[in-house]
Amino acid sequence: MKIALFALSVILFFATPALSLDGGAILKQVDKNLQPESFESYRKLINIEPNGAKREFLLYTLKKGNDKIVSLFLSPASEKGRATLRLGDNMWLYIPNVGKPVRITSLQSVVGGVFNNADIMRLDYNVEYDVQNIADEKSEYVLDLKAKTGTVAYDKLKMWVDKKTVVPTKIECYAATGLLIKTLYFKERKPFDEGVLRPSVIETDSPLYKGYQSLLVYAGVKRRTVPNEDFTLEFLPRVETLR
Amino acid sequence: MKNVFGTVFFLLLLFVPALPIYSQDKYQVDLSEIEKEVQQVASKPYHLGGFFEFQPTLLGIDQDSAFSRLKFYRKRPGSPFDQYNFRLRLEGSYTKDIFSAFFRSDTYVRNEFEGWQEGTKLFEGYVSLKPSPSFSLDAGKKTMKWGKGYAWSPVAFVDQPKNPEDPEEALEGFTVLNANYIRSFSGPLKTLGLTAAAIPVYEHVNAKFGELNHTNFASKLYLLLYDTDIDFMVFTGSSRTTRYGFDFSKNLTPTLEIHGEWALINNQKMMTINSQGMGTMHQSDAISYLLGLRYLTEKETTYILEYYRNGTGFSREQFKDFVTFVDNSYKQFLNTGNDSGLVRGSRLADGGYGKPNPMRDYLYFRASQKEPFDILYFTPALTSIINLHDGSLVVIPELTYSPMTNLELRFRTPVLMGRKGTEYGEKQNDYRVEFRLRYYFGLESILRSIF
Repeated sequence: MKIALFALSVILFFATPALSLDGGAILKQVDKNLQPESFESYRKLINIEPNGAKREFLLYTLKKGNDKIVSLFLSPASEKGRATLRLGDNMWLYIPNVGKPVRITSLQSVVGGVFNNADIMRLDYNVEYDVQNIADEKSEYVLDLKAKTGTVAYDKLKMWVDKKTVVPTKIECYAATGLLIKTLYFKERKPFDEGVLRPSVIETDSPLYKGYQSLLVYAGVKRRTVPNEDFTLEFLPRVETLR
Repeated sequence: MKNVFGTVFFLLLLFVPALPIYSQDKYQVDLSEIEKEVQQVASKPYHLGGFFEFQPTLLGIDQDSAFSRLKFYRKRPGSPFDQYNFRLRLEGSYTKDIFSAFFRSDTYVRNEFEGWQEGTKLFEGYVSLKPSPSFSLDAGKKTMKWGKGYAWSPVAFVDQPKNPEDPEEALEGFTVLNANYIRSFSGPLKTLGLTAAAIPVYEHVNAKFGELNHTNFASKLYLLLYDTDIDFMVFTGSSRTTRYGFDFSKNLTPTLEIHGEWALINNQKMMTINSQGMGTMHQSDAISYLLGLRYLTEKETTYILEYYRNGTGFSREQFKDFVTFVDNSYKQFLNTGNDSGLVRGSRLADGGYGKPNPMRDYLYFRASQKEPFDILYFTPALTSIINLHDGSLVVIPELTYSPMTNLELRFRTPVLMGRKGTEYGEKQNDYRVEFRLRYYFGLESILRSIF
């Protein structure tokens, strides 16, 4: 019994420095360093197949606050005018030919490839996840994140955060079953809004899509705040007029 | 015929995607190139594009069915016969400050045993003013697309009916004057939207909508309440009878969505005939409704299931009487050359009996699998529509593949099954073999050189 108590004390002693780190504060800083709270951006989604063939999609995105984001496909011609709206846990897809928005889920993929709606229409990590554990590893923190509700696309995330820049370098995304769904890599920091350095390329691969790779490239991020009414189902067919 | 099958076989080969060949080269992002492209599109206030479509189709005619007799009693094609459809869809938009304009046109050319046919329609063409974030005004030809149903929408009071076999296809709109008001809130009620529309029906405007020389009014209240989309709608006017509706849609779980519609149509008039061709006009209130589910599995299979009660539809006996009348009229035509019964039957078919789903109870089922076998942009699907009253059905296996940017291929073979006197048993075809090639294009570069 004495030995067990001693062992437990030793474990707690060594674990204390890591637990004393404020994981929530680090996660909030990560969000702040990845993107402004409200912004507009142009992004290029690139799907690369194992044979090297690639397909590119250009998106215009507007985000406001904690729970509003809308994305519009500008190219190629086959996807032009497709728009996706997210209001908290609600997500809709508008296809011009169909003419009315339909409810979709965050796990669906609008254009195919490794990225799904949850990746393209991502809200801040601290809005959807709690920090369960944090480890201090040389130049990085490793955060174990758990989804706050069952409606979040990935149940658990393992996030490697660079200590110097407080920006993630890698995130592993897991299903509730423990299955690794995909890994995201954050690369190439460059100055965006007001000179803030943010990762401009998010690369992803997945054991479910062996040999396939997808990239999300940020070509412009500007702080912009638009009225809440621009994030509504009724306005979705008119998103183009905001550009 | 050999040529047709040869063509279809060749086109099918396009569906066989290249086998994955693993490349060791890492893709390098050229940020400056992407920024250049963004600058080009960022300041562009206009858009012009669309698609070109080629659809060869093989139709297996059911020579003994009521609808093939009505259509081909004078000139009967061989079965199967081939049909070649070409389509050009153009759409464009322009935005300047609070003003915007949009159009979508549709031009088709068809070649079949009767020769060439062609036509052009303006599907939509309207101008919009948006003086404030909450208010907008549209005037022109527009599709309203009310309702949450996938295959059917009984509350779409000011829209053309959808084709349940191809419900995602664009439809022609009606000319309307439409005002929209939107407000966002925090709390359980996140969005409130109010739409009010005036629909004029005169000789040269919306003439097919209903009775002429009236202006009709429709309104819709939209709420996003407790994460549920809810709409209440009403239509009133003298071109059609007054009708009220309600719909909703909600995600029960991240992978399961439920939706429904309910419509009450006051004093709905319906013309039926008995087997001798004696007509009766019925008038009563009718209730139509729909309940549907959409479910996405972990392996990205999407299931859609809908039950549809068509309150304005024919009973099984009423439909059987129509079939008997057509069969008798056809015999009379063969014996005497008198086609008056078949001419009347054709008029009735245009009026209601020939609608895509003219009866009362239906089930819609669709299962589609996204990108199986690691083949990107490839989606096989299976769809079925079942008439629950007479047990007849259509089964539609389908393959969709996009082998390159802007090119979309679709191959499908609807097979219709049903006994004599049933809905699908009396449709014109036993089966169809359809191949559709769509190439999407943008014409912005031409516009840039002009302006």
